[in-house]
Amino acid sequence: MKSLSELTDFYYKELYPSLDELEKKRLQIVSQLKWYGGMGAVVFALTAMWMGKNFGLLHPLSIGIILAFIVLASITYRFMTSDYAKDFKAKIITPLIGAIDSNLLYNPDFMISQYLFERSQLFNHSIDRYSGNDYVKGSIDGVPLEFSDVHAEYQTKDSKGRTQWHTLFRGLFLVAEFNKYFKSKTVILPDQAEKNFGSLIGGWLQSINFSRDDLIRLDDPEFEKVFVVYGNDPIEARYILSYSMMKRILDFQKKISHPLFVSFVHNHIHIGIGTKKDLFEPAIFTSLLDFKQAMEYINTLRYTIGLVEELKLNEKLWSKE
Amino acid sequence: MQIVLIIAGVFAVIAILMYNSLIGKKNQVENIFAGVDAVLKKRFDLIPNLVASVSQYMEHEKSTLEKVTELRAQAMKPGISDEQKISLDAKLTSALGAINIAMEAYPDLKANENVMHLQRSLNEIEEQISAARRAYNQAVTDLNNAIEMFPTNLMAGWMNLQRKAVFEITVTERQNVDVDALFNK
Repeated sequence: MKSLSELTDFYYKELYPSLDELEKKRLQIVSQLKWYGGMGAVVFALTAMWMGKNFGLLHPLSIGIILAFIVLASITYRFMTSDYAKDFKAKIITPLIGAIDSNLLYNPDFMISQYLFERSQLFNHSIDRYSGNDYVKGSIDGVPLEFSDVHAEYQTKDSKGRTQWHTLFRGLFLVAEFNKYFKSKTVILPDQAEKNFGSLIGGWLQSINFSRDDLIRLDDPEFEKVFVVYGNDPIEARYILSYSMMKRILDFQKKISHPLFVSFVHNHIHIGIGTKKDLFEPAIFTSLLDFKQAMEYINTLRYTIGLVEELKLNEKLWSKE
Repeated sequence: MQIVLIIAGVFAVIAILMYNSLIGKKNQVENIFAGVDAVLKKRFDLIPNLVASVSQYMEHEKSTLEKVTELRAQAMKPGISDEQKISLDAKLTSALGAINIAMEAYPDLKANENVMHLQRSLNEIEEQISAARRAYNQAVTDLNNAIEMFPTNLMAGWMNLQRKAVFEITVTERQNVDVDALFNK
């Protein structure tokens, strides 16, 4: 994989023509947005004043109109920026992924299959709506992997019969082949209970979690503090989670500020990073040439694809070939 | 009268729960020891092959090879206790480690595909054994804690449960491979 400086060079040199073109488009959109925004604000203020005089601002009709304004504004924003987002993915992200490794395929509209997401057993809740984008598939150092943005939701009905949507997981989801054979299931989750209730009560709460397999207590105190592990085979769980693997997962968690979910099922490693946002959506109000912004795109990609090296999934020391 | 019955009932329930949890822990230890035993057997199966393949090359390590064969024979004897198995396993691991290091000195050996394959299999089994040992140690620690902690210690004393020995986890197992140290030997 290319180094950070090589990729930064690539971004600013090779992609410069596209960046320049897109940047012009972006500035145009920003000025249009400002114009529409200003107009909208004036119209909104006048309507609000008129409504306030005639019905009062808390009248259902007034609230309806305010909501209509918000919906209209967001639709306009989507409409104006969607072309730009599409261009950005085609002209910047696609070549950038190609530069990181030519083996990787990128499809901005596709996502990791719901089957793989559910197979991970990271989230036990049933899923009522599943979406995603920015799908990357290929192999790094001979390790097959795929990842994408995923947004999994479930719905509930309140006492009045209204449906409410809840996010189960939103962020990056990655599946890669693991370098050891195993038959069991091992699930690693962020340790909420121990953080909130301390190790004694928290540990007891974890051990009576009926929706999961047996609690597996590991012999790395630092790892235990950050994660909770469930599995159906205590020996295989430790075969997968060797001391060095625990350390690598812990180091990775320290590097990212989002919750990390890892599971080992069906000879594959499944990793969910709860970023709570879309990965490669261009920021309209920041320049594409802005260094920090560029770094964010490059680093996200590097961290994700670099996971293969980070977790040493490419080390096939054992008889698995 | 009723209060006495209720209190007696509560005590009975607590006693049953404690008894069951102790039995659960004891069985978990036995269960995992069976897993340890299974991977240890896998290693025993490989040892004669390894010894036969390398003995013609390794003239100077005859005594180490003989020791490995002997340890294997001891460990496979029927009717030895778990503690004996644990201590034999530690000796066998260190002897095999010595052979592994000694093999570095024989370029002919490293060119032999059969030996390399054996060594890889052995490495993988070592990993499995290491995992099984750690699982066993955790189960034993859970049991030992229950045996010593109040109030389960009272029940354990009455049930005549004994503390069990754990495997020593060697320092090399805990550490990541330090490549520098390997070359500076």
